[in-house]
Amino acid sequence: MTNGHDDIEELLAGYVLRSLSGDDAAEADRVLTEHVPTCASCRAALDAFQSVAGELALDAPRMNPPETLAVRLRRELEPRGRSGGRWSTGRIVAVAASVVLVVGVGGIALTRGNGGLAKGQLARADLQDVTKAAVAPGATTQQLGHATEVVAPAPEKIYLFGADVPMPAPGMVYRLWAVSGTQPLYIGDFLPNDDGTVILEITLPAASVGSLFVTTEPAGSVPTTPGPRAWTSQDAA
Amino acid sequence: MREGDREDLELHRRLAAGDRGGFDELYHRYAGPAYGLAYRVTGQQILAQDVVHDAFLALWRAPEAYDPARGPFRTFFLALVHHRAVDLVRRESRLKARSERAANLEPLVGEDPAEAVAEESYLGVRRKEVREALVGLPPEQRQVLEMAYFGGKTQVQIADELRIPLGTVKTRTFAAMRKLRAALEDTA
Repeated sequence: MTNGHDDIEELLAGYVLRSLSGDDAAEADRVLTEHVPTCASCRAALDAFQSVAGELALDAPRMNPPETLAVRLRRELEPRGRSGGRWSTGRIVAVAASVVLVVGVGGIALTRGNGGLAKGQLARADLQDVTKAAVAPGATTQQLGHATEVVAPAPEKIYLFGADVPMPAPGMVYRLWAVSGTQPLYIGDFLPNDDGTVILEITLPAASVGSLFVTTEPAGSVPTTPGPRAWTSQDAA
Repeated sequence: MREGDREDLELHRRLAAGDRGGFDELYHRYAGPAYGLAYRVTGQQILAQDVVHDAFLALWRAPEAYDPARGPFRTFFLALVHHRAVDLVRRESRLKARSERAANLEPLVGEDPAEAVAEESYLGVRRKEVREALVGLPPEQRQVLEMAYFGGKTQVQIADELRIPLGTVKTRTFAAMRKLRAALEDTA
């Protein structure tokens, strides 16, 4: 466990370089969620080191990418607000399969490293279970920003699944809420895994989970009132 | 704030509003630095293209991920490219055999020969300042920093490779980052 600001800043220096592993990566997770949000000095150090990490990129010689890259990108830009479009059950299964393939090749667990943080009534889920739920009779899917809510009726399961989910800004987490009656109900905080996937189970009865939305909040903050909605189910195409 | 940073901010605002023109201009500015970085980390052009593609697409899909209060757009976006490149290197076991050339400081095949001319802009000025700050580091600090940043290695891997204690790697990395922070803040 780290002691004092110098130890924490040393950890943050390794964190922004993406060079931590094992216990150090776990300790960075803890510091980023428990200490940094409440410490102005460490937040300033984190922002400053993040800036250095961005500036270091300029030491690499500039290279022009092939023209085809710009063409490919322009073709794939969706109109704003569609956020990748609605995910069909088939697409979930297909992406789940491709994620499994990547994990298989790389030999890396989905929930390792700096991602995958889940607090509250959220639990890390198994990808195969999400796939099984998505194809179960009576299962429904609902787009939620960068992710998809998968609800299977029997046995009742609710999952949140996404790929290519961007990391929130340093020191921030995604916060999942349900609208239950007129009051927002806090469900939990999460971060994408290192590979951009989100694979979570909502451990609440479906009846108490109305529509969902996600806000971006300082890590470790008390979930009293939700901030502006970053993802809503209205994002669905 | 530098003029170039202000322009980036406006382009990002346009992109966030769904203006493809804003996206195109940011692409024009940052595709070259992003591709150069991604190639240096991954060592393969096809993977570097994937990294840059994914980073720009993520920017389009989630512009709110950039918070102007936390620094210039430039550092946010290039840090995003770096993270994706390092993550890809770690996932792709076939990269174990990647060219050593990509990790050294020599000019690379495909480097834009017009860099010095084309980058008379603020980005070119900043590139010069970054290189001067790096040259000012003690060699042993610069070595661990480059192995981590451009080599995509963890601190444990660096300690193994250099046969030095992990604590020494951490200390050198921290000292290097603090010196760079001071040097680059002075010139910001």
